[in-house]
Amino acid sequence: MPSSFALACHNRGRTFQCHGDVHHMTQSLNANIPKQSIALSIKINGTRYEREIAPTATLLDVIRDELGLTGTKKGCDMGGCGACTVLVTGRRIASCLALAASFGGADVTTIEGIGTADRLHPLQDAFIRHDALQCGYCTPGQILSAIALLAEGPLSIDDIREGMSGNLCRCGAHANIVAAIAEVGGL
Amino acid sequence: MKNRTIARYEGTLKVTGQARYEGEMMPEGLLHAALVESPIACGELQSLDTSRAATLSGFATLVTHEDAASLKPSAATALIREKAIHFHGQPVALVAATTLSEAREAAKATQASIAARTALTQMGQALDQAYEPAMVGRFPASTRRGDSAKALSEAGLVVRRRYTTAVNNHHPMEPHAVVCWWEGNKVVVHTCTQAIFATRAIIAHAFEMPPVDIRVLSRYLGGGFGCKGQLWWPWMFWAMLASRKTNRPVRLELTRAQMFILVGRRQETAQDIALGFVDGRLTAIEHDVVAQTSTHAEFSDSTAVYTRFLYACPNVTTRHSLVRTNEPQPVPMRAPGTAPGTFALESAMDEAAELLGVDPLELRLDNFADRDQENGRPWSSNSLRECYRVGAERFGWAERRARSATKVGRWKIGFGMATTLYPAIRQACRARVALRADGSLLVQCGTQDMGSGTYTALGQIAADALGVPMDKITVELGDTELPDGPFSGGSQVTASIFPAVEAATAKLRAALASIATTDATSPLGGKPPEDLEFADGMIRSRSGNAGERLTDVLARAAADGLEAEGESPATDHQKLAATGMGYGAIFVEIGVDPELGEIRVRRVCGAFAAGHILNPLLAKSQYIGGLIGGIGMALHEQTATDAATGSILGKSFTDYLIPVHADMPAFDIAMIDEDDPHLPGGVKGIGMLGTAGIQAAIANAVYDAIGKRIRKLPIRIEDCL
Repeated sequence: MPSSFALACHNRGRTFQCHGDVHHMTQSLNANIPKQSIALSIKINGTRYEREIAPTATLLDVIRDELGLTGTKKGCDMGGCGACTVLVTGRRIASCLALAASFGGADVTTIEGIGTADRLHPLQDAFIRHDALQCGYCTPGQILSAIALLAEGPLSIDDIREGMSGNLCRCGAHANIVAAIAEVGGL
Repeated sequence: MKNRTIARYEGTLKVTGQARYEGEMMPEGLLHAALVESPIACGELQSLDTSRAATLSGFATLVTHEDAASLKPSAATALIREKAIHFHGQPVALVAATTLSEAREAAKATQASIAARTALTQMGQALDQAYEPAMVGRFPASTRRGDSAKALSEAGLVVRRRYTTAVNNHHPMEPHAVVCWWEGNKVVVHTCTQAIFATRAIIAHAFEMPPVDIRVLSRYLGGGFGCKGQLWWPWMFWAMLASRKTNRPVRLELTRAQMFILVGRRQETAQDIALGFVDGRLTAIEHDVVAQTSTHAEFSDSTAVYTRFLYACPNVTTRHSLVRTNEPQPVPMRAPGTAPGTFALESAMDEAAELLGVDPLELRLDNFADRDQENGRPWSSNSLRECYRVGAERFGWAERRARSATKVGRWKIGFGMATTLYPAIRQACRARVALRADGSLLVQCGTQDMGSGTYTALGQIAADALGVPMDKITVELGDTELPDGPFSGGSQVTASIFPAVEAATAKLRAALASIATTDATSPLGGKPPEDLEFADGMIRSRSGNAGERLTDVLARAAADGLEAEGESPATDHQKLAATGMGYGAIFVEIGVDPELGEIRVRRVCGAFAAGHILNPLLAKSQYIGGLIGGIGMALHEQTATDAATGSILGKSFTDYLIPVHADMPAFDIAMIDEDDPHLPGGVKGIGMLGTAGIQAAIANAVYDAIGKRIRKLPIRIEDCL
């Protein structure tokens, strides 16, 4: 059985973790040296994608640049802002800290898999009604992070604030973001 | 004009991830670019060794000052045309490659030889070389009214203090990016800019091209706050040169670390302020500001300018001076000038109130300026006293004496207040509206939406003017193919677009009214046009029961629809009859843990008066967002330079702290609607107001809680111990 590994990055109250499959990754890397690419098969929003990717490519760069799913944002590329948050089997991770090669077989959800204009997710709808966004660049990450947070267990307003603190917002939509999450969370 | 709550026009696109930001364009054959950075802060580039980089996989091209020599010299091209190194991290070349990681590898493999000179890396190293700039923004750098020295010598109380503020960086969540390509002699530039038309003009100048051959797009902008402006242009030019050289589209996206260096910052200030009082009335103010600028460009915030306006005072002297250092160039950042300036002035007023034994709010009311003393004009409107009254009441300012320094759990409580202000001016603007046969309306204006709600405002103004429901409105902005609109800065966009859209819609109303009233078959035939109103997709008679659908009117006489353009001029400062200014009063409650020095903002009440508010939902978001930016400046944000090397320390969000969800206080926003007959539609800007005043309010509250005057920003744990 492959061993698993975890990378963690602490950012003011929020721990990002990316779990991967070391065995699989090491094998892939070894098998491909000195080749410049490896094969990735990944399920995103229910669709399976097969791509040749650089062994060093992050999940974020693959999602944005290879697959064109630009709803996932790059804010800092070092796990400090949460704009790149995606869900991996329901858990939130910073996709800029995740090696794409270690997510072969993973089930990834990005903002494009959450809801559409015709069928908004309740959180998306609440974000609009509460005006929980301004420039909108942190918004997909905020929504995905909030979906995972609400699934993590019962929450108080302070829990929401604490649990969302890895998702930075510079326009200052925080109060409305927390109000939207609290409403959907039944608070 | 109606005041109504409408959800953000582009909200659905943003919450579903479908709003495409300009750096996300993916043309066929796209190359990625990375910058080669100078490892020293001062010197001259001797040579670049690209022998290894050029052999790396994916390498496409390298662009240097030699390529930029083909560009016309100007302030915007100097950094990329010349060999001089002015600051640590200054790019010396751009590399383009097939993938981003290949571009970064090639940039790393490029060796720069630089002849080093001694760098001046701290403002404090060269205070003796401070000089006075000619202007601070659109204001003179130094002013004198009356004789402040004499008045200070005769004052009953003089408060003389020095206040300092740190360097801040803007850090919009979206990093600067450009995706550009050439189509023969034409160029298409998708880029994050707060000013598409200024960007087009500077490209036209640098590349000596007719503007018509240049298309600049900025349809969704992931924040700006002042940094998506001119300092981005040199690096954008290099990407354009790389695209021309390779005949392929090129994308350059800054790293978060580069955003600390390349695209501007709020300059640090040291401010000496002296207030003189006789019987509780200000008789003299002196406000001297020293601030940093770079060795390659000049910028001064209008830091002391607001001191010329805020209080009634016959003797006021203000001065600005600058010190050049080998550090990054400052630019305006949200609430430029007024944020650091009100920190000093409003802190000093709090100190004076205590020494005079009066309530800080009373002192401000006693010294209210009932006209613009600097220019000898009345205010276009000024509801500052109403802000003080409403804010104090909602906040519970009267409880201050009873609550000061009391404890709630581990927190010592403090109350503080301060004033904020920002000028209300406009830029020239053109807008187009097109009513289609199906009754839907297209509104176009070449401005940008930084997140401030411009899409919604444009749509709402046109919808209200023609009585078309919001769901039938399409708004287009952020494209130089559209009529010239204002840059997104100075809280001016809504005030600028309003009269232009009004002018365009007035033409449509007149055309529609004429069609309806001159047609005997219309229920409105023969009615006087001035009797008509436009609402709910109908034209109706105000005096009778008659009405007709817009679509029916169009079907009869304008089957292809109708369109019109409107334009409006910029504020003419020479001919102003009255000075326009928006105001606010900020009240805060903070808690300080005296054991740990930790500071928490517990609640903020902002009472603002900024003309007529179009959309209270979005306006409230702007005010709160502004206040949060101000909390960041007050308690968190500081960019420091390593004195030895000139490099910026801690270029990441783990070191540069900005307010996060866990830092949020409770906000209470009061919007005092003003009727301002001097301004079109009575519209003043609101985006800056929240970001000033709150810094002093917090500092004053810290004093109220623990008796410690902190005269520097940010106020950190170590300051409270």
